[in-house]
Amino acid sequence: MTNIQWRKTMGALIHSGLITLILAVSTANAATIYVTNEKDNTVSVIDGATNTVINTISVGKRPRGIGVSPDGSEIYVAVSLDNRIDVIDPAKAEVVRHFESGDDPEAFDIHPNGNIYISNEEDAKASVFNPKTGELVAEIEVGIEPEGVAISPDGKHVIVTSESTNMLHIITVPEHAISQNILVGHRPRSATFSKDNKTAYATSEISGEVKKVDVISGTIIGTGSLGNDKAKPKDLLLTPDESKLYVAGGRANTIYVLDPASLEMLKAIPVGKRVWGLAMTEAGDRLYTTDGVSNQVSVIDTATDTVVATIPTGNFPWGVTIVE
Amino acid sequence: MTPNAVFTDLLTLIKYALFTALFTSATNAIAETFVIVFVGDTDSAGYRGAKQGFKEANAQGRFLGHTFDLIHAVAPRDLPEQDVVAIVADQTPLRLLQITERAAGTAVLNVSAEDDELREECRENLLHTIPSRAMRDDAIQQWLRKVPGSPASAQAWHKDFKKYAAAQLNKRYTESFSEPMNDVAWAAWAAVKMVSDLAVRGDASEPSAMLDSLKENLEFDGQKGAAMSFRPTGQLRQPMLLVNDGKLVGEAPVRGVVAITNLDSLGMAECPK
Repeated sequence: MTNIQWRKTMGALIHSGLITLILAVSTANAATIYVTNEKDNTVSVIDGATNTVINTISVGKRPRGIGVSPDGSEIYVAVSLDNRIDVIDPAKAEVVRHFESGDDPEAFDIHPNGNIYISNEEDAKASVFNPKTGELVAEIEVGIEPEGVAISPDGKHVIVTSESTNMLHIITVPEHAISQNILVGHRPRSATFSKDNKTAYATSEISGEVKKVDVISGTIIGTGSLGNDKAKPKDLLLTPDESKLYVAGGRANTIYVLDPASLEMLKAIPVGKRVWGLAMTEAGDRLYTTDGVSNQVSVIDTATDTVVATIPTGNFPWGVTIVE
Repeated sequence: MTPNAVFTDLLTLIKYALFTALFTSATNAIAETFVIVFVGDTDSAGYRGAKQGFKEANAQGRFLGHTFDLIHAVAPRDLPEQDVVAIVADQTPLRLLQITERAAGTAVLNVSAEDDELREECRENLLHTIPSRAMRDDAIQQWLRKVPGSPASAQAWHKDFKKYAAAQLNKRYTESFSEPMNDVAWAAWAAVKMVSDLAVRGDASEPSAMLDSLKENLEFDGQKGAAMSFRPTGQLRQPMLLVNDGKLVGEAPVRGVVAITNLDSLGMAECPK
């Protein structure tokens, strides 16, 4: 090999190595985080690479629940005081259309088929909408003050929590019939499923606890206490490898890390005030929390379970979702 | 059929049997009818509050196959002979004490009498969902510490209270009765709701079980954002609302004066020795 050839080869190697390195860095930070600001009528757009707000999108009044379509092409925002869902095109960073959702929409989840399942707090109902057409697909009667909605990864079960009836309603899809009603602690707020669709976890705000339930039999198979009378837990989610369960502790201003098997507490991570919303990257390396009263998002490195950044947002950040 | 296939079939059968057993035990719980008595005038905020509670109790019960029946009695002498889950009473202190004696062992929930003397009685089966006068006084005192010279009254409930889904309860009540929910209506609604929630959890096998459960297992938020339970005096621990000139101005325990979770900072916490 001549000197020139050698230099060319090395140059190519270094060049491709650099590209790989750049790709690796940009892949790790390719997340864009969208946060609803309940009192500003905006959505903050955060660049996951720099942990800074890069855009602020105007939406309807009192934006709360937020989620992404399965193909990542649309972001849905429940704007409670306008009784509708605003649809954001992430490429344009603006609201491109909206559809009526019934009274006071708050929390929702998105089915693998693209339909939105939403709780109608005032009407003791859950509604199913096709967000492409705005068509109401189905309505399911549930308990009083329905709140949290969670859909199993296989799309066969939906959980709706009813806060004043203290129940998790398990709804089968496509029948839209209730298969189980599970009494849990007072004011159940949010739920999440395991990857195998068989187990679900739910928070109860007043009881300050997490219940683990068997989805098919409708039985409670575990209870975890957060051991703090200020803890009014809301969102919860599992890491992709299901080694940890993260719970937003509300007024305890803490993220609780639980062992999903035993529901024992592994760690408590201090964050900002009144933490409610949670979202995790697909790789599970970063957790984003909405600290409502502190007007900020905290970024947690899940390898060390420490806060690595806090990002000022708009007023009262509520919901959070990620586009990768 | 190969032995393997037989084995697989057997396994499927066992799985199916287990699944069926679990499923039916969870869904086919024995349907029960629970009877709760209301003692008082039917044209009263207490009765309307209780009716709202029954409506919501049945909304919960229907998912589990249970129903709640309301029996009305005008006065202690009208109490039914049958066993009932609990008695909700909108009565004078004297009549309340008569009811506790006639229905010994059954929980009697007082929804309107505020007399501190009734709490000092520490009757075994008398519980109070309406706050005592001492609780109101302490709430006002905490407020005057924080905001000296600011006149305020303390209430159990307010029509403009919105936090902790209070707005939803106010809306439901107003839709049912075309009037705002007041303290007595809230206390009666709360009494029925806490009894019904314990009943569907299996704590109403007999009246004494319900009484024990109310005293020991209660964790009721009452749309006021706190886990409420009963004191040894029978009084329900609860946050109070501070009202000035008809307007909601604050909540007690008053933040900055005492810990907001210290519900026992309001009123007498223990029975007199």
